[in-house]
Amino acid sequence: MEVQLIKIEKRNDVSRSIYFLTPVLAIFLTLLGGGIIFYILGFNPIEALKFFFITPISDLYGLSELLVKATPLCLIAIGLSFCFKSNNWNIGAEGQLIFGGIVGGGVALLFYNHDGFYVLPIIILSGAIGGMLFAMIPAILKTYFNTNEILVSLMLVYVAKLLLDYLVVGPWSNPEGFNFPETRQFSESARMPILFDGLRIHAGIFITLITVFLSWLILYKTYLGFQIKVSGLSLKTAKYAGYKGKTMIIIVFMISGACAGLAGVGEITGPIGQLHRNISPDYGFTAIIVAFLGRLNPVGIIFASLIVALTYLGAETAQIFLQVPKYTGQVFQGMILFFLLGSDYLLFFKIKFLGLKKNEL
Amino acid sequence: MNTKLKVSNISKTYPGCIANDKVSLEFGSGKIYALLGENGAGKSTLVKILSGVVKPDEGEVFLNDESIKLNSPLDAKKNNIGMVFQHFNLFETLSVFENLSIDSYKKDEDLRALVNEILKKYNFKIDLDIPVLNLSAGQKQKVEIIRCLIRNPKVLIMDEPTSVLTEQETDDLFISLKQFSKDGILIIYITHKLKEVLSLCDEVAVMRKGKVVSVSNTIDEKIESLANKMVGENLNTIKKKINNFKNSEEILKISNLNFKSDDPYETNLNNLNLSLKKGECLGIAGISGNGQNELFQILSGEIIAEGTSIMFRNKEIGRLNPRERREYLMAFSPEDRISQAAVPELKIYENVALNNFKSSNFFEKGLVNEKKIKEHSKKILSNFSVNTDNVELKSQFLSGGNLQKLIIGRELITSPELLVCFNPTWGLDVGAINYIHETLIQINEQGKSSILISTDNDELLKLSDRICVIYKGKLSKIMNADTVTAEKLGILMGGGSID
Repeated sequence: MEVQLIKIEKRNDVSRSIYFLTPVLAIFLTLLGGGIIFYILGFNPIEALKFFFITPISDLYGLSELLVKATPLCLIAIGLSFCFKSNNWNIGAEGQLIFGGIVGGGVALLFYNHDGFYVLPIIILSGAIGGMLFAMIPAILKTYFNTNEILVSLMLVYVAKLLLDYLVVGPWSNPEGFNFPETRQFSESARMPILFDGLRIHAGIFITLITVFLSWLILYKTYLGFQIKVSGLSLKTAKYAGYKGKTMIIIVFMISGACAGLAGVGEITGPIGQLHRNISPDYGFTAIIVAFLGRLNPVGIIFASLIVALTYLGAETAQIFLQVPKYTGQVFQGMILFFLLGSDYLLFFKIKFLGLKKNEL
Repeated sequence: MNTKLKVSNISKTYPGCIANDKVSLEFGSGKIYALLGENGAGKSTLVKILSGVVKPDEGEVFLNDESIKLNSPLDAKKNNIGMVFQHFNLFETLSVFENLSIDSYKKDEDLRALVNEILKKYNFKIDLDIPVLNLSAGQKQKVEIIRCLIRNPKVLIMDEPTSVLTEQETDDLFISLKQFSKDGILIIYITHKLKEVLSLCDEVAVMRKGKVVSVSNTIDEKIESLANKMVGENLNTIKKKINNFKNSEEILKISNLNFKSDDPYETNLNNLNLSLKKGECLGIAGISGNGQNELFQILSGEIIAEGTSIMFRNKEIGRLNPRERREYLMAFSPEDRISQAAVPELKIYENVALNNFKSSNFFEKGLVNEKKIKEHSKKILSNFSVNTDNVELKSQFLSGGNLQKLIIGRELITSPELLVCFNPTWGLDVGAINYIHETLIQINEQGKSSILISTDNDELLKLSDRICVIYKGKLSKIMNADTVTAEKLGILMGGGSID
């Protein structure tokens, strides 16, 4: 039997512009792949894609919804970029989001029927601290006990989910709620201000934008950012330069957890207004895709979060108009990641064909 | 059956480095051959060519007078060339038998019978059904050897096999190898340990800088003669003027340095003592892998050796990390310039910022002071004649020599009191080597001290005021350089003693 021999080689020089263009290519391929899937399902692919990607944002309400969804995604992804840039694989942002929501929500319930301008800032702050503390668990276990942060942070997601479940069913459930698994609606003082009447877009977007700016400042203009960059490229060099590796692991997890916690508290004080079982449609996991699609770059992440947010909206529209399950949204998210990783592979490596060879074994 | 293996005129060039330069060697079965050489001498490349991992640019391999093509490891297997690498290729969680059956096409029962036969014949005691992770390093190696024996090898190549073995395991291995040899298997044994060559092998080929420099019978060789062949005995270089440091101030004192590593590939250090005077260069010779790496990292602070006292300018610095040690005016140039001393993906000025301490003001109030770093970098580029003035250039585009100048420049521009360098001229061309050597002599003339850990004896004899040898994690006594000869170094490097 003759076989084609192939060899994978690393490319030496990858152009910077192409590096930032491949995510665009990945999105294009996703649209193509999505079109094919819709065609197989018996829809007109152009129409279906229009329902998926154009219809949702063709009015003000849709645009506002897009920003509502992009706000937490962008915030979490920015936080994750600190971890990913320094080779720390925090996969548990979803858990940190939920835990931030639990702490923030607890404080909001504490302030039930309580007025005052200070209520909301305290809730937001406690949400951030909640997420931060929760992210420190995998960080501390990694630095002092050499555990694998991927595993620990991922498993803690389920701990947070079950804790939330217990709280909304048990001690925190609404006394007048007919045993529905949810807390009371938070008081007005504990809610994010709405920016426009009739739309759900809320002040959380400013928190996100400020965080993006601060992150850019930290990553590109500070000593900490420089240390994160060096550690991400070569741990050996970081050690030789004398950077405190353990402290840095904990700092990046803290930043990342705080961002996820902020996203969680933004959701419950913003569009949701109470705690219940499903305060996040897996924003914490989807944000991993956002972070990589945005090339771990703050500006890139803003764009990426808008695109991925659109898949959430598109899935809802498609469910209504095309009667396909809303999980098609996740199919699209999966395709984005798949095509991104695929084009990255071809970007960093080239495949050489070495010719036909007899396979004798 | 007799086996003859011949490599003829093998050449292999990597960008910027000739790994094998017209290498020709002949081997015949019934003998054990040593291939001896320093790291980077080209023995690994030759072995990779014989095992089909690397294709030579030129030259041929003959097995029993027939030219064979080794385009892949599969070809090597087909030609009955077996190979045991230094790092084991075993699945830790699978059982011994599963590991053996993975690349075998025999039926399980047949394979088991064959393996049991091998176990019995060579008196190996290994339980085939326990996971590999429960085995000792020596047993894992036996599994690798069995994997080769299953295929009835004509040639068995062992790459640095004893680096992770205990003395007892080493003895066992030698007994087995001699038995294989008796059974007609041609054995090529790659090492840089001289004693092993003398106690195990019949013939020895020494490689240096890609070339075969000598082939001889081991009976005719002694440890010193082999050591000299390995590191070169060309002593026609000008020695630095040796000063008398009797009355100089002591700048560094290390007492009772002990280090025990958890990693079997690292070397433990035993009771090292050394001191250094102002303006002095202390050379530390030795064949690589005898603890130089660990010693360098302990000096730089990358490894903290518990319970060791390091006094630098009358201050205890034993527990400080590299950055903190720099504050006390120490500087370090590690052996691995490409991926440790600098990051190839970073720009020159970013690499300069790696050597940061308070007075450099690279990072004021936690913010990056790019202007300051770039100014400083420009100064390094011109003062140390690096062949570019573009501080925005990524350092991966610098040649080895220029990169090393940048690193030495970065370390020296802060006028440190002590520079610790490890193989600073490894792999460089003559021009760059001379430049680095002149620079190192210059800093001593300015009253700054240096520690030179090197595997290049010419370099050590040229630059050092005093020299000692590190062998198996222990330091020899420290000698004045004018009393040291290449012969003496050779004896000490091989583990012998002089009076």
